[in-house]
Amino acid sequence: MSRRIWENDWFGPLLVVVVAVAIVGALNPSFLSPFNIQILLLAISVNAMIAFSQMIIIAIGQMNLSVGAIGGLAAIAFGGMMEVWGIPWPIAAFLALALGLVAGLANGVLVAFTGISAFVITLATLSAYKGVNLGITEAQPFYEIPATVKALGNETFLHPLPWLIIPCVVVALLLWYLLNRLPLGRSILAVGGNEHAAELSGISVRGIVITAHAVSGLLAALAGIMLVGRLQLGQPTIGDDWLILSFAAPVIGGAILSGGHVSVAGTFLGVAIVAIFTQVLVLFNIDPFLVQVVLGVLILWAVGINRFREVRAQRHAEQVAT
Amino acid sequence: MQFKRLISALLALTAVPTLALADSSSRVALVPGGPHPYFAAWEQAGADAAKKFGLGSADYKVPQKWELGLQNQMLESLVTLGYNAFLIFPGDPVGTVAIADELADTGAPVIALAGCLKDPSKAVFCMGTDTGNSAYLGTKELLKELGSGAKIAHFTGFLVDPNTQLRIDAVNKAAAEGGAEVIQVIADIDAPEPAEEKINAYLAAHAKDVDGIITTAWVPAVVASSALRKIGDKRIKMVGIDHDEVVLKAIKDGFVHGTMLQNPYGQGYIGSYVADRLRSGCKVKADAPFKSNALTDKFIDSGTVFAGVNDVENYVGSMQSITNTLFEGFESTYLDC
Repeated sequence: MSRRIWENDWFGPLLVVVVAVAIVGALNPSFLSPFNIQILLLAISVNAMIAFSQMIIIAIGQMNLSVGAIGGLAAIAFGGMMEVWGIPWPIAAFLALALGLVAGLANGVLVAFTGISAFVITLATLSAYKGVNLGITEAQPFYEIPATVKALGNETFLHPLPWLIIPCVVVALLLWYLLNRLPLGRSILAVGGNEHAAELSGISVRGIVITAHAVSGLLAALAGIMLVGRLQLGQPTIGDDWLILSFAAPVIGGAILSGGHVSVAGTFLGVAIVAIFTQVLVLFNIDPFLVQVVLGVLILWAVGINRFREVRAQRHAEQVAT
Repeated sequence: MQFKRLISALLALTAVPTLALADSSSRVALVPGGPHPYFAAWEQAGADAAKKFGLGSADYKVPQKWELGLQNQMLESLVTLGYNAFLIFPGDPVGTVAIADELADTGAPVIALAGCLKDPSKAVFCMGTDTGNSAYLGTKELLKELGSGAKIAHFTGFLVDPNTQLRIDAVNKAAAEGGAEVIQVIADIDAPEPAEEKINAYLAAHAKDVDGIITTAWVPAVVASSALRKIGDKRIKMVGIDHDEVVLKAIKDGFVHGTMLQNPYGQGYIGSYVADRLRSGCKVKADAPFKSNALTDKFIDSGTVFAGVNDVENYVGSMQSITNTLFEGFESTYLDC
């Protein structure tokens, strides 16, 4: 049965984005200037990768607290390999992605084979990965970033579209295809929806958990690498601020925290909403102390919507059962 | 790396004469509130002080996160590991008092470094940048360039840092005195992602409305320097803080007017020496000429100096000079030995 357009997860966030852009653009025309659009797209490109990294874990009904630590580790590995060992940036990027993949795999294996909750495992690995990061950098950034990487992180290929939007769009399309068209994606959502039922239907729950964490690690590493290009240095503190955004954007975009239901388009729009709100607070000179309050309200709103969806889904399931 | 150049040049400080033999049993721990590039110079400073003055050790120990509980745990475990003198950046000016007093009760000298504890505490004194004064002087330098009637934006650090409000007040005061207007304060951006997002968004919308920028925290200074370079705007004058390579290069290239240098190396070097002297029996003079700030009446300014385009090449010399001046008169001014 085809859905009406307003029943899609992405419709609400899209409406918010359109209305917010229209209002802010009318009140402050510089919001829609090409340069500001470029700045907004740069923020969205990296933040979407962070949100996707968490979204894939939410899809299996778990959470990954180490998203930022993996991204930070990959970022400083990328910067460090180029500065200290003089490795060409494409190889360094590949190795940093591999590092993220391995870190995610380690999370997945530990969760799958110990039976300990992902919350606890990733809390522990967050600490471990961050410790490695600080052990390597001693809190000092890597500065020697090649000009090509800096250009890719800051310049546009078609004004105002930045280069960083390309990996973001490619990953979004791949994730959409994975979750909506491939058996693996269906299995991921099935495990999140009802792990026991998924197992009974022949899905390897352990395999799915490991795969989801590996993808999450890979995407977090990609976000870290993109951020090195954008910041033009390998900051050890990259990733420290990711956690709230990584949950807020998928939830705003329609994900159910208990698993089984996520939306790639919704998550992308959730990221856009957070980015627009962040800009609005700056553009309209909101008191810096009030910024925290506004962000807190935004998250509460997202969590409230999430709870509403869960209750609605539960009632729907009960109605179907009776 | 420029940081290594800074450290090697500061090694010249070891030429400063030793005033008395040190107690080799002193094991000094230099503990920041969490990882931050500002504190990195403490490591070399401790090592240099240990070598120069014959300390048992002076080790830099970094809590993994900016979290008071984590710093407290680390301090407690350092006691059990045999450390007997502590130089601490308080994770919280009030919250750290209890653990500082606990450490002092074991007989270990405790010095608040780079940030102060709220009085009363058993810390012998607080040595750090007079953050308000640094922000005030930085704004004055900016206004020298801009003149009265200028509109300036202020980018600053963590809201939980008590220094942030002092900096906001000091910038406002200097601006008011100079006939300028602070049109926006963007705070809580001492981390790369929010700094990048907010500073760039601000400049995208308001670059034409602002004449100058003052930054009073490390990361905002770095990000704002890059942002001005990115938009190629040399009309907007900026005064940054600290000695990150990105900021120094932007000064050389004319995108930033100058930076307010602080003295983390001098804090670690002199702090380690003084901690050892206190363990050797020296006492803080009853009439020591401490300054006062919002937190304590036992404050020693570790110095700050403006470095413009003509000073960037020799910024290490400027920092050496501050440290030498402070070190030379320290014992006679503050200690009874």
